[in-house]
Amino acid sequence: MAKAFRASAGIMLAPAVTLIGVFVLVPMLLTIWLCFQDWSTQTPFSEASFVGLGNFQEIFGSTSVGRDFKTALLNTTIYTALSVVLILPLSVVFGLLVYQRDVAGGTALRTVLFSTYMVPMIAVALVWSKLYSPSEGPLNQMLGLVGIGPQPWLSSPRSALVSIVLLNVWQQVGYFTVLAIAGLTQIPGSLYEAATLDGANGREQFRFITFPLLRRTLLFSAVIAIINAVQVFEPVALITQGGPVGSTNVLTYHIRRVGIERAQGGLGSAMAVMLMLSLMVCVSALFAFVNRKDSE
Amino acid sequence: MSAATRSLARKRPSGSKALLATAMLLVAVVSAFPLAWMVLSSLKTPAETMQVPPVWIPRMPTLEAYEKVAGVINVGRSMWNSLVIASVTTAGILVTSIMAGYAFAKYPFRGRSLLFSVLIATMFLPPIVTLIPLYRMVGSLGLSASLAGIIVPNLANAFGIFLMRQFIAGVPDDLIDAARMDGASELLILYKIVAPSVAPAIAALALFAFVYHWNSYLWPLTVLQGNADAYPIVISLSRLLSYNRGAVNTGLVMAGATLAVLPPLVLFVFLQRFFVDSIVGSAIKG
Repeated sequence: MAKAFRASAGIMLAPAVTLIGVFVLVPMLLTIWLCFQDWSTQTPFSEASFVGLGNFQEIFGSTSVGRDFKTALLNTTIYTALSVVLILPLSVVFGLLVYQRDVAGGTALRTVLFSTYMVPMIAVALVWSKLYSPSEGPLNQMLGLVGIGPQPWLSSPRSALVSIVLLNVWQQVGYFTVLAIAGLTQIPGSLYEAATLDGANGREQFRFITFPLLRRTLLFSAVIAIINAVQVFEPVALITQGGPVGSTNVLTYHIRRVGIERAQGGLGSAMAVMLMLSLMVCVSALFAFVNRKDSE
Repeated sequence: MSAATRSLARKRPSGSKALLATAMLLVAVVSAFPLAWMVLSSLKTPAETMQVPPVWIPRMPTLEAYEKVAGVINVGRSMWNSLVIASVTTAGILVTSIMAGYAFAKYPFRGRSLLFSVLIATMFLPPIVTLIPLYRMVGSLGLSASLAGIIVPNLANAFGIFLMRQFIAGVPDDLIDAARMDGASELLILYKIVAPSVAPAIAALALFAFVYHWNSYLWPLTVLQGNADAYPIVISLSRLLSYNRGAVNTGLVMAGATLAVLPPLVLFVFLQRFFVDSIVGSAIKG
């Protein structure tokens, strides 16, 4: 019986394991190998020549390669941090709005919020580039109605990255709202009953029941939000091309430009490895932080 | 939430209810506004899209912009390419995920949890990390600039396996053992017993995969290398923005965006229950 299981398991697993092995794990290992090589993406892998840590010296050096990479790393960090800081609290607030039963329409609100997550990022980028248009765009007109002067949005190095964060938050927050609702449904109602009997008001209930019990959900959300945020590509590729003056040059865009368009495969791979390492550090730190809070 | 908490929560004064309703309405309006603006602008005349201050509702809705889109990009061809990419990829993901999910849920083989962890870890790998070597590999396989090059590397993914394992684990072992007693093969059991028991989860995975691969941009753009015949709609759209740049292209862009948004959005509206259930399932059970 055990032998039969092993044979069947092999058959059942073969397609998925082969595909993920060949198209995800092998390229990942190749990226790690290539980060120590001088290699042009237009040549076979056999043309690569070992340069040790040379690529890393270059991407952290003081030449334009180093400056561009460090800018992209910093921009990605800012972009990711801002996205997470905006998305998480909004997802909890929106989740509570959908989940409450005092006013009807929660499910309809969930539908509206989540529908933006279905919109291709490329369409989001196109539409928002027109919403942001300084003269004929509706956003500046609406700001004018409440007495705020016209904003430069995507056309100024000071506001372009934040403008892209905003369109990202708009697109993604519905997904995280659904995650927050999933977390809320896991909180036993009896806790709120007991708290109400003890005279705890709404704010105290949120602080001592809802928030602590949502911590696991929020950790999961934060990890997904970080992974999603470092993938931002379409608005940059389509609208800003990394500008103005490098202010929206983010890693996914920069790595593709270096590694594919300029065919500097070794340099691009070193940047990709740095991205992978940063993510691992970031996610481990998050887990450690939440676990420490849990054990307190 | 239990009925008890709901009745407790209902004791709110009507003033805070009005505030709550206002907040909900505001969130819904802000969320819906960009898409509403997109559709409205796609129906404006070129003069209306240029007007300052902006025109909100087109006076005489016109399909002019859609006709122009059809003149700049091959809409039929692009939509067809998107459909082929999304459907074939989805079919592959379903087959590979159901099979592997079944093995992980129901076969006690050695190294199971290690293999599962390695596969799941790939879920957290941003595609850009593998893009450069993958681009080269697909080129060496002779698949670049083709639909096959877009599809083949995506025929299996960790999320699908994860989701299927979660749901197949809930199928009773007795059901599977009874079928084995009757001499059914494992593939037949999978097809006749396991898959039907997790049909809603399969539907959810199918929708997720379809929408994801309909919308996906980075990989097709990289692999196609400018072969416009194979462009999915999302890539064709980028040509609308560069067309007549600086002049009147807003209506054009909005009409194109509306066309690309429609298929995933329509699918979602009709089948959102599955989407939501599977997100909730993956978050809680994970």
